[in-house]
Amino acid sequence: MNDISSHPSNAISLSGVNLALGRGAARVHILRQIDLNIGRGEAIGLLGPSGSGKSTLLMVMTGLERPDTGSVVVAGQELQRLDEDALARFRGKHIGIVFQAFHLIPTMTALENVAVPLEFAGARDALQRAEKELAAVGLAQRLHHYPAELSGGEQQRVALARALAPDPALIVADEPTGNLDEATGREIIELLFRGHRERGTTLVLVTHDTELAARCDRVVHLHSGRLDTAMLHEAK
Amino acid sequence: MTALADTREAWRPDIWQRTQLVGRLAWRELRGGLRGFGVFIACIALGVLAIAGVGSVAASLADGIGSTGQLILGGDLSFALIQREASDGERAFFNDRGTVSVAATTRAMARTSDGRSSLVEIKAVDAAYPLFGTVVTNSIMLLPDLFAQKDGAFGAAVDPALLTRLDLKTGDRITIGNIAIELRAALTGEPDKLAGGLGLGPRLLISEAALRATGLLQPGSLVRWQYRLRLPSTDTSDRAVTAVEKAAQAAFPDAGWEVRTRSKASPQLERNVERFTQFLTLVGLTTLLVGGVGVANAVAAHLARKRDVIGTMKALGASGGTVFAIYCGQIVLVALLAALIGAAFGAALPYALAWAFGSIIPIPVAPSLHPGTLALSIMYGVLTALAFALWPLGRAHDISVSMLFRDQIAAERHWPRRRYIIATALIAAALAALAISTTYDHRIAAIFVASAIGIFVMLRLLAMLTMAIARRLPRARSMVLRLAIANIYRPGSLTPPVMLSLGLGLALLVTVIELDGNLHRQFTAALPERAPSFFFLDIPAADADKFDAFVRDRAPASSLERVPMLRGRIVAANGIKAENLKPAASSRWVLQGDRGITYASAVPAGSRIVAGQWWSADYSGEPLVSLESKTAHDLDLKTGDSITVNVLGRNVTARIANLRAVDWENLGINFVLVFSPGTFGGAPHSDIATLTFADGGTPAEDTAVIKALADAFPTVTAVHVKDALDTLDGIIKNLVLALGGASSITLIAAALVLGGALAAGQRFRIYDAVVLKTFGATRGRLLCAYALEYLCIGAVTVLFGVAMGTLAADLIVTRVMEFAFVFVAGQAAGAALAAVTVTLALGLAGTFTALGRKPAEVLRNL
Repeated sequence: MNDISSHPSNAISLSGVNLALGRGAARVHILRQIDLNIGRGEAIGLLGPSGSGKSTLLMVMTGLERPDTGSVVVAGQELQRLDEDALARFRGKHIGIVFQAFHLIPTMTALENVAVPLEFAGARDALQRAEKELAAVGLAQRLHHYPAELSGGEQQRVALARALAPDPALIVADEPTGNLDEATGREIIELLFRGHRERGTTLVLVTHDTELAARCDRVVHLHSGRLDTAMLHEAK
Repeated sequence: MTALADTREAWRPDIWQRTQLVGRLAWRELRGGLRGFGVFIACIALGVLAIAGVGSVAASLADGIGSTGQLILGGDLSFALIQREASDGERAFFNDRGTVSVAATTRAMARTSDGRSSLVEIKAVDAAYPLFGTVVTNSIMLLPDLFAQKDGAFGAAVDPALLTRLDLKTGDRITIGNIAIELRAALTGEPDKLAGGLGLGPRLLISEAALRATGLLQPGSLVRWQYRLRLPSTDTSDRAVTAVEKAAQAAFPDAGWEVRTRSKASPQLERNVERFTQFLTLVGLTTLLVGGVGVANAVAAHLARKRDVIGTMKALGASGGTVFAIYCGQIVLVALLAALIGAAFGAALPYALAWAFGSIIPIPVAPSLHPGTLALSIMYGVLTALAFALWPLGRAHDISVSMLFRDQIAAERHWPRRRYIIATALIAAALAALAISTTYDHRIAAIFVASAIGIFVMLRLLAMLTMAIARRLPRARSMVLRLAIANIYRPGSLTPPVMLSLGLGLALLVTVIELDGNLHRQFTAALPERAPSFFFLDIPAADADKFDAFVRDRAPASSLERVPMLRGRIVAANGIKAENLKPAASSRWVLQGDRGITYASAVPAGSRIVAGQWWSADYSGEPLVSLESKTAHDLDLKTGDSITVNVLGRNVTARIANLRAVDWENLGINFVLVFSPGTFGGAPHSDIATLTFADGGTPAEDTAVIKALADAFPTVTAVHVKDALDTLDGIIKNLVLALGGASSITLIAAALVLGGALAAGQRFRIYDAVVLKTFGATRGRLLCAYALEYLCIGAVTVLFGVAMGTLAADLIVTRVMEFAFVFVAGQAAGAALAAVTVTLALGLAGTFTALGRKPAEVLRNL
């Protein structure tokens, strides 16, 4: 499959992306000449060893890190053209993020955590929608629990509901099972893929787990900041 | 894309919706509790408590003075005349408008039969006295009986202090002037005492008839005649009071009296309360400023704890501005809570004061809530919190979401965006403007604000400099020293918070200590070598030469200076009425009430001409006046301008011939206004004189002169300079005590900030201690290293604090109070030592916890 060509049906289009971090002698080239197109509704597994630049690539896709060179287009929007606040608004509307460490807001209940992105987006029925999303991930009985009162798996389900709540065009998940036991991890992955299938959302999944990556439509390998074109393959 | 996403594209929140969202999220975040805000809340609450408390007490005192105006004044209106009684016309005017009571006050010498004597403040009253309130004595006798002439002596009620001083008891007799006075009762309550102002001796209450019999009433004697008027019960409204006042001024425009009404019974007292309130308020502001450091630390620590949450919010669509608004909202809420706590305690202070000390405070207290004062103090608190919080809050704008993906060891240090820097500057400016505009003396407030900001900035620079020097020091051989030095400059070091909080608090304390020491020295210890031993008042002009000869004979080694003395009020300058003149605060006193004036043919001792020419010795032209140069500057007057004074009911206008610089410190006879001879024609007056012993005089010489003079000139009043200064010193001691009390609140705030900063650094201390112990460091060596670190930071801070406090006191003493400054080392050293000890104690108290932690327990949780 040729990933270099850009197409209007692409959800994400990276072209000639380079990124180095640090200064002087400590400067490290993290991403080198990345070209990658991801179609709408496609699920991509991003594989690679630690330090290969997976998380950084995810940050570039979500506008959290600006590349030194190259262009990043997400949902038809060139991210370099947006300032920081516009990027934040863009993320709130179009991108749902699932972190390895959940990153729930400890002072808010599960319901409020899920409602936050909807509230930022101005939804008047934020709490009702959040309740439905939590019910969808099996937490209808835990709406008013604080993160500290939830297990790791439940916390990640809340985080997933939060990412899905605004119906984003793109879901990025950074090793979402990394902090969970195997069984709980499987449950989360099922929920993640179900959300992707049912809503037609584009999914980018960063993982070490080749088995899990294989469930995606496509797997992309990253080595020392470069896409390993030899290993670029259709997973299914 | 779904329906939600489509509707969101068009959503542009208005300000109200945005505020609601921000408020909601801020509130949710705060529900987690106020952990970490303890020092923040305590600091703001303390500062607001000081300001609200001082303001509420002052307002309650003002209310007390206002609501008891008739009592304090002794009537609905009071007309005071100096050196002359009311004319028949004036008395008729009073009698037509209500009930009149006259009270004459003067100073005199009370002598015992065995030759001991003491200065007394005489108040001679008529039968109508008091028009309001009651005189309280330890006797059941009615006032007419108490004052009546019996067995060759008039009666008196006397301040118990005189009984103690002269070792007398009720029933004993003293001599005043030419007559015997029987002390029939101890005076414990005098309804109109406050209106009299500061007295140099104990009160002696006698009848008007007794005063007339003493022989003290000579032409020109310094007697203050007060005519108190009680309006008829048919109309006692404020309008009626004003109408009488206006009618009196219209009927007797040149009377030269000082008219007071019940609503402004004691403007001087009110001014003094206001002025003192200003100083205490400024001290309260310093508390807030010191507390601000605690606020900044608390906010920075709070945001550091919330970095993940902030990052998450930004990942979920919050802009930097929204994040700022959410956390700023929280800080405002917490600040408001803290300010409300402080204001509540401050509001309760007058009630507590009235309950605990109401019976012994000489000024009436009418406790009540003062919403304006409380609102102002709350505003101070919230503005201070914002001024210190905006900087760290501004940094939160730029917290990056990427740290959620990638571990970051330390928060990046960067300047906040320009808008937050500008907002910080604007709030600081608003705070300064508020402080300056709401205080009595804008100049002093401005100096204070500028000094506080200056010291604050210098302390911040000092912290940076200290850290930079520590960083560049050569590597020490000793591990203990190396660790101590490294701790001084490492990120998150205690150097800036300790220096800012302790430095400012100590500077204030040293300022108060040095002011206290210098004022005390000025009034007692440091009497100038050539300071006179005595002031003699009311020397009859006719007996002046006899008086001189007598003194030269009895005290040949002394020098005597005698000048004529009249009392006069400045009523106009360059034709502008005194009430319309706007002098600088430092010279307002010149226009308040009557002043001593004199005339002379030569430049008075202790003065030198700085502008214009002194008149010739035989000058006999138009009235000329020599004006003290600072007063001239404050009143915007120069040579050639005119001044009108009212003396003995006559307006005299004189041209300013020259300006004089006066050395007030030598305590000699000096006047603001010295007129050319002949200005007052044959106006009756008495002389005043100073007696200075060449060698300063001994108590025995003092007693001998007093006794001899009292016998020979019974109507002359001798004021022992040292006693008078002791009285003043006692009053100033109490004022400084109050100032010191307020300053101690600042020190508590400083200790809180210090404690907070040390607690915040505790996590790093434990980590350090555990790691170092793992690699073989003993607790003793670690303790030495930490002690050395605290000692270094404390010592630098203390040196700077003492230097700044001394400088501030020097400026106040030399520029505002205008006398020479002397560094009082003892107490300043004590404060410095205490500050270093507190730093060490607080620091080591926390360190013991760090040293006590078991390495394994901590390492397991790292």
